[in-house]
Amino acid sequence: MPIVELQKVRKVYDTKVAVNDISFNIEPGTMFGLLGPNGSGKTSTIRMMIGMTVPDAGSIRLFGQPFTRKNLHRVGFLPEERGLYKKMKVMDQLIFLGQLHDLDAATASKRAHGWCERLGITASIGKKTEELSKGMQQKIQFISTLLHEPELIIMDEPFSGLDPVNATILQDTLVDLRNEGRTILFSTHRMDQIEKLCDAISLIHNGNLVLSGGMREIKARYPNNRVKIAFEGDASFLSHPSVEEAKNYQGHAEIKLRDGDNGQGLLAAAVGNARISRFEVIEPTLEEIFIEKVGGNVDA
Amino acid sequence: MHKVWLIAKREYLERVRTKAFLFSTILIPVLMGGGIIFEVVTSTQSNSTSHVAVVSQDQRLATDLQAELESSKDTKVFVDVISPPASGTRQELNDELADKSLDGYLWVTPPSQANALPSFAYTPRSTHDKALKATVDSALQTVLLHQRLTHEGMGASDVASLMQPLQVDTTQAGKAADSTSSYVATAILFLLMYFVIMLYGMNVARSIIEEKTSRVFEVLLATIRPEEMMAGKMLGVGSVGLTQVGIWLATALLLTATPVVSSMMGGAAHVSLSGTELVFFVVYFILGFLLYASVAAALGAMTNSEQELQQLNMFLVMPLAACFFAAGLVFSNPNSTFSVVMSLIPFCSPLLMYLRISLQMPPVWQIGLSIVLMLATIYAIIWVASRIYRVGILMYGKKPTLPEVLRWLRYS
Repeated sequence: MPIVELQKVRKVYDTKVAVNDISFNIEPGTMFGLLGPNGSGKTSTIRMMIGMTVPDAGSIRLFGQPFTRKNLHRVGFLPEERGLYKKMKVMDQLIFLGQLHDLDAATASKRAHGWCERLGITASIGKKTEELSKGMQQKIQFISTLLHEPELIIMDEPFSGLDPVNATILQDTLVDLRNEGRTILFSTHRMDQIEKLCDAISLIHNGNLVLSGGMREIKARYPNNRVKIAFEGDASFLSHPSVEEAKNYQGHAEIKLRDGDNGQGLLAAAVGNARISRFEVIEPTLEEIFIEKVGGNVDA
Repeated sequence: MHKVWLIAKREYLERVRTKAFLFSTILIPVLMGGGIIFEVVTSTQSNSTSHVAVVSQDQRLATDLQAELESSKDTKVFVDVISPPASGTRQELNDELADKSLDGYLWVTPPSQANALPSFAYTPRSTHDKALKATVDSALQTVLLHQRLTHEGMGASDVASLMQPLQVDTTQAGKAADSTSSYVATAILFLLMYFVIMLYGMNVARSIIEEKTSRVFEVLLATIRPEEMMAGKMLGVGSVGLTQVGIWLATALLLTATPVVSSMMGGAAHVSLSGTELVFFVVYFILGFLLYASVAAALGAMTNSEQELQQLNMFLVMPLAACFFAAGLVFSNPNSTFSVVMSLIPFCSPLLMYLRISLQMPPVWQIGLSIVLMLATIYAIIWVASRIYRVGILMYGKKPTLPEVLRWLRYS
């Protein structure tokens, strides 16, 4: 049974269709990426999932039931617009947010201390939030969504504004949580981030669902028909029959193979003529798939 | 309710812990206390023995005036009689006025014809000393009337008994009360509410605007409903105001209870409340405050900045001020249909129902109904305000249409 089911969900603001009949399911224990450029409808979709706004049409089911606020305590939500009480001390703030999720103060405090240790911000526990760096505040907010140990974690652009080191720490944490059996949905406009993290994705563009499914399945749908070769010597192998199109730069070439060819014939031909320092069959990136799908008009 | 409590507790603790709260709690009573002491000191100075001279050819008139003035209850007056005046008298008196040994003199010029009244001229040292002038005026009236009656052939004892001040006892069915005291208590309630609403009602609105700008609401709205947040904020911020006012009132009561201060005040501002009245005072004050605080919350939900809020803050106190004007009519006839209806309107109940209670106990069902109506109104305002709030923050400035609002209502 999927944890999240969206069925033809639609949201219209004024005259703008923010979300246009989007459907997807999220299976338990998976990491799900909601992808799309800025303004494509990711946040609108997420807000409907946690009941902050109401779909104009379609249905949303969480944990196999139609949406009800009663189930929200099983959800951890990190909004895109971060907000913490500036004057409040970090630990007070975490305890307060934990209590809002029906934890008692002692449990909230214990878990918050644990998380601060895990993310390496123990030194900041007694400080006021406004004294902390933005990245630090983001970690605190990250912790606040996890204190009540939700089954479903929904994060809107969790890595935006973080330096690579901290982004990696949070990514690793999410992977750990997924491995513990939690279901995670996060949105991002950075498609390179998602490839190694997600089990499944949905690609949104202008409110429309462009692509949806398991990561491997999607990749498999797009043939591995491109080859990168770095070489010295004779470049005549570029006219091998398996090559549909080739671009020869100084010392390396990018080749598009004919459909169904796995590149082995080309490799053999190349080895015969030139000295090969690198030969790679390239998987299409999500970004390339996306561009192919929507016709290049991406502003991310 | 648990979450309302959590929100309220956070708001309360965060605000009470600030230095601003500490300072204003201490400073305002100090300033007010200083003002009162200054007032008391200066007024006791002017109330101390006044020194007046009466100048008249008619010695009898002059001594009667002296007796009347010196027997005055309100102020102590020491009277010099100069009769008949010498040629340098006026100059001497003016000199005495200048060196402040005299507070004023009354110059009586004899009538030019028989049977006409003499003319009187009072020259005070300071035109601001209205109390002394009034005392002199009334003493003069009494003496002249006295003289006139005697002149018409009435015996001295008849005149005395005729001119005895009249005592009117005001008693009401069911209770013996001083209606002026009821009115004063209502006026105090009005001033207190006005003050507290202006000072703290706006804080409720501000705290809601602050929540919008800090963007914490998105986290909160994923766990609580907007009306829970609104109610929590209203209670939390409101309680801060009530705490502060409570501290001030308690201090004021302690101070006035001490014999020194009460003797200094001369028992002038005496308002007596029975135990029941005190309970109703507190109940109506708190309910009234919460009602107006919920309006403030709605104003906060509708606006996005302090400036916008300033333009709307008249909506906060205008209904209250209007009720205060209606209070005059209720006072003169507390059981008329007008009074009953007005006192049941939730925005007026705090003042008008309280006024009626202190004048003459209205039927219990009316008191109960007014409280129920106020609670229902508070709930309704919070409910509507929370919708405005949610739609306002999530719709990116777009005005909600009616079907949209109806969908919001269905979904919670």
